Amino acid sequence: MPRTLELNRPQMGLLEKALRINWMLVLLICVPAAIGVAMLYSAAGGDLQPWASRQIIRFGIGAALMFIVALVDIRSWMRASYVIYALALVLLAGVEVLGATVMGAQRWVDLGVLQLQPSEIMKVALVMALARYFHGVTLEDMRRVTVLIPPILLILAPVGLVLRQPDLGTAALLAISGTAMLFLAGVRLWTVGLAIGGLLAAVPIAWQFLHEYQKTRILTFLDPETDPLGAGYHILQSKIALGSGGIFGKGFLQGTQSHLNFLPEKQTDFIFTMLAEEQGLVGGLGLLVLYLALIVYGIAISLRSASAFGRLLGMGVVTTFFLYVFINVAMVMGVIPVVGVPLPLISYGGSAMLTLMFGFGLLLNIHIHYDVHIGRRASLRE
Amino acid sequence: MTDLALRSWRSGAKPDYFASRARGPVLSENRNRRPLETARTRLLVAGAVFALCFAVLGSRIIDLSLLGGADANRPTAHAPTATLTLARADIVDRNGTLLATNLPAPSLYVDPTMVLDAEEAADKLRAALPELDRDTIIQRATAGGRFVWIKRNLTPNQHYEINRLGLPGFGFVREERRVYPHGPLFAHALGFTGVDNHGLSGLEKAIDEALSDPTEARRAPVALSFDVRVQHALHDELSAAVADFRAKGAAGIVLDVDTGEVLAMVSLPDFDPNAPTLNTAAAHFNRASLGVYELGSTFKTFTTAMALDYGVVGLNDGYDATKPIRIAGYAIRDDHPKNRWLSVPEIFVYSSNIGAAKMAADVGTTRQRAFLDKLGMFAPIAIELPETGRPLTPKHWREINTLTVAFGHGIAVTPLHLIDGFATIVNGGIRRAPTLLKRDLDAPTDGTQVIRPETSAIMRRLLHLVVTDGTGKQAAVAGYLVGGKTGTAEKAVNGRYKNNALLSTFVAAFPMNAPRYAVLAMLDEPRGNESTFGFAGAGWTAAPVVGRVISRIAPLLGVEPVNEEIAPGRNDLVVHINGRSRQLASF
Repeated sequence: MPRTLELNRPQMGLLEKALRINWMLVLLICVPAAIGVAMLYSAAGGDLQPWASRQIIRFGIGAALMFIVALVDIRSWMRASYVIYALALVLLAGVEVLGATVMGAQRWVDLGVLQLQPSEIMKVALVMALARYFHGVTLEDMRRVTVLIPPILLILAPVGLVLRQPDLGTAALLAISGTAMLFLAGVRLWTVGLAIGGLLAAVPIAWQFLHEYQKTRILTFLDPETDPLGAGYHILQSKIALGSGGIFGKGFLQGTQSHLNFLPEKQTDFIFTMLAEEQGLVGGLGLLVLYLALIVYGIAISLRSASAFGRLLGMGVVTTFFLYVFINVAMVMGVIPVVGVPLPLISYGGSAMLTLMFGFGLLLNIHIHYDVHIGRRASLRE
Repeated sequence: MTDLALRSWRSGAKPDYFASRARGPVLSENRNRRPLETARTRLLVAGAVFALCFAVLGSRIIDLSLLGGADANRPTAHAPTATLTLARADIVDRNGTLLATNLPAPSLYVDPTMVLDAEEAADKLRAALPELDRDTIIQRATAGGRFVWIKRNLTPNQHYEINRLGLPGFGFVREERRVYPHGPLFAHALGFTGVDNHGLSGLEKAIDEALSDPTEARRAPVALSFDVRVQHALHDELSAAVADFRAKGAAGIVLDVDTGEVLAMVSLPDFDPNAPTLNTAAAHFNRASLGVYELGSTFKTFTTAMALDYGVVGLNDGYDATKPIRIAGYAIRDDHPKNRWLSVPEIFVYSSNIGAAKMAADVGTTRQRAFLDKLGMFAPIAIELPETGRPLTPKHWREINTLTVAFGHGIAVTPLHLIDGFATIVNGGIRRAPTLLKRDLDAPTDGTQVIRPETSAIMRRLLHLVVTDGTGKQAAVAGYLVGGKTGTAEKAVNGRYKNNALLSTFVAAFPMNAPRYAVLAMLDEPRGNESTFGFAGAGWTAAPVVGRVISRIAPLLGVEPVNEEIAPGRNDLVVHINGRSRQLASF
């Protein structure tokens, strides 16, 4: 198809878009979600109640959201980026302000059916805003330091608010994915180095924000055996469960560590442990391979995108997804301290599921609109 | 990825992409090439970092599930259990059943200098500890100094509740509390510990140092000679008897006659050592080892054995029991007068005071005292208890004393003395110190020969005769060849004997052809009831208790029952009197 024609055509029809949906990506999303439902069924001792059934409904809602997000014009998303970011920031600040005075320690806004965590919205919003910003900046521009001030502020504002909650896992996730965006956008290496250095320098400051239990968690990480019944309990039991699975595991519904309740809250952050115990090394590695395939596919979709916005947005979503997986799995295996990050598509929970499905919707969107060129000001035409 | 990526890079989308990012027209190929390279390199670096991270996760999961990991090397059983260091050794019975152990029970103290609001703290604390007085808490929380106890030995629930209050200035000290799983069952034998977890009475006090020895050896529990099954049977039967006969109290002992091990020791009324302060001093009194009593006719066992052993009398000798002995203004009468000459076996079996007194008179005061001394009747029993009674003996041992001691009056000993002496008489004549600790079966048990084995053999026959034909018929247990002696003593109150306040005792051993265990039951002031036709004597009250205890414990202790009519041991027990076998009038 001649390029000129494409450029002259402002929008695709809905049907045309629907035909361009990448079903391979959808499949790669559905398989882990199905595994997640199976694990939740097992976690309840072989029962759809109370977790598996609700997880199915949430995934259904998430999938609907994903397709809607995918079919909206990518330029609309680009134009909405800053607005979404601003809204998320206001909500986050609202939770921070209200949370201190009215809502106790709640980190979420109650929308009736759904409880929405502004910090979850922010994970996508930050990626969108940064992609939007760097879309309008050339490599030449990036030589000027002043150009870097807005994106750094874009990152620091939500990180600071989330740290004050304090939600260590989310703050780390936002900071790392933001830094990765800077790197991918082509910011010069010394700047990225500076950002990483700044992150490290912020650690002692962040330490002061932390609750006692979080400090304990990190200290315990260094030597969990010091307190096997207290703060070190979860991670020790988790490692025991992982170790007891062997190559092929104990079999579906047969995991002792989880079913005998050595692992409390096994349905949420520590569900990977259950998987590894029941399905063994094969199951654990299998899931990691599935995740890796999803990431590779996401990168490929990003690369195909004609627009810098699409490319950066796709990589941002992939990075966020990767961080979810890495932080969670590394946490349950005792590679990093315990921070509350769920295993994407598998852990029981609504907020993270919606964030991820929204992100995957964006990935699908980028795939659908891979050949749409976007001007620097996000106009429909060059 | 690479395929797709490369294809997309080549597809020509890039020039547009970069064109879109370049300001103005494209100036040169080189100008375009550099940003292209940068973006590409960075994507590859990002991809490599992702891959590296996944490689780390993959190798970690392999490490944990296949190679065991560094942490999984520990046995998993150790993971959830913190090692509990307890300061006091457990006590178990001879079969390893737990009799006393420790539970962690933290104590609450307050550092008044750190208390913010004593009144608020008091109100909150009272929610968890309602038994505390509000004013007392406030007073303590505002006292001088930096350490005041609030409550010792909290339950886990209380500990949790108070901890949850998060009161500044209030802290816990790790302490332990002694726990007796069997409650009152071993109350007097074990005793109890105080708030500092040191023994205040019983074995806990006697072997306090060994129990709280801070060396490694203390981890091993202390094994007692007790058998919880035997103790329970004895406790059960004595309690029933106390209720039936409305007795003031009771004592009971089961003793291994060959080793001196005490298998059971009960004193009633008793108390719960888990909460020792709830009971009166009377309940804490150990009647079995501390109380000294005139045990009456049971002493005729010693008198008869003494006379036989010194060769003063033979089985065929007899004494005139036709009229009471009058001496020093007292008259010694028989409770069951036959008013005729009685042979030595008849004196024993019918429990003749006159006959026993005359036998003792023939032996003589000096030899009688020497004999009773050898039996251990003059000194406190050397046993692992702080509560051991010192016998009461006549200050000046005159002839009248010789006569009354012969039938158990004028001398007061503990039930433990009686059963110890009784064991010596039936076990072949060897006296061994009784013990509450489990004996090592391989270690030789040293003892002193008090009477000749032949005398012991004769005594067994006589004792068996008491149960088959005499005052102890109600102690008979089919198959177990019980032999024993009754003792019904009038209690001395304010220097006079009261004929309606009795001390009924029965001491027995079984199986009588080769005795293994001795059993004693003593009832303090039992009152006759309908089933005993109003009688409260030992034959009606104490003897049945012993019989029932033996019928319960003999199978547990592995004593094989015998058919009494054909048992080989039966012949050993036959008494020949005046050439006629068992020539005894029915009682």
